[in-house]
Amino acid sequence: MSSTLSANDARVKQALGKSLKREIGELDDSIALTDLVAESFALIETVINLQEELNIRLVQEDLRDVKTVGDLVRVCAQRL
Amino acid sequence: MISENERWVLSFYRTSEISGSLFFGRLAKSLKSGPIQHDMTKHYADEAMHAWYWTDCLNKLGVEPLELGNAYQDQYLAAAGMPVNIMEILAITQVFERRVINQYAVHSRAEGIHELVKSTIDRIVEDEKWHIKWIRDALKNMEPEYGKNTIDETVERFLAADREVYEKTVREHEERVRELIAK
Repeated sequence: MSSTLSANDARVKQALGKSLKREIGELDDSIALTDLVAESFALIETVINLQEELNIRLVQEDLRDVKTVGDLVRVCAQRL
Repeated sequence: MISENERWVLSFYRTSEISGSLFFGRLAKSLKSGPIQHDMTKHYADEAMHAWYWTDCLNKLGVEPLELGNAYQDQYLAAAGMPVNIMEILAITQVFERRVINQYAVHSRAEGIHELVKSTIDRIVEDEKWHIKWIRDALKNMEPEYGKNTIDETVERFLAADREVYEKTVREHEERVRELIAK
């Protein structure tokens, strides 16, 4: 189970890196999303990119408590 | 020539059109190919043209556009939270487009409106009608995926946010928009 989650986490991070034009190694779980994506519209774009790339759907409720890269990766990985 | 208040209002429209264009341009780039990508790309191009119309209108009236900070729609996020999927983005856009068309209609009826301003509004409103139509159709087509109730609730949530943002904007800029809202 944990290896599946981990594979999903890696897939999400790969998609996130592609969207943000960053290496996966730069996307530490503890980094605040606001440090990676400075303005709100860029964050929306990133979230849409992830959904398009991973073929998943998120709703506002899913992201209510998302603050860091790790939070976002977990939420997206659960949808895979 | 136009008054400083009118200059501010037209610059406000211009800033809002630019923000809309940039936002839709980025989304159009992200979306997979299909009808939504097609229509969103036209929407993006329309908003960019509207920004150009206002820039040209201001220049022809003998003034430069004012550099303003946040656009009207920037305040939506604080009032309603961030839209996180295409349905939510289209819902908030539909609400915003209705506000735009209503605002342009009010301005169009303002006493003593300059002919150039009126013709610019008329030109833009034709595109805005199509914006509302394509988004309404797209939201309808999303009902099997998201559910009609969810879509309706999302639109309602953003309508409430829009009312809040509009009232706040009018309060903040009452002096500048008094001539328009008094009609």
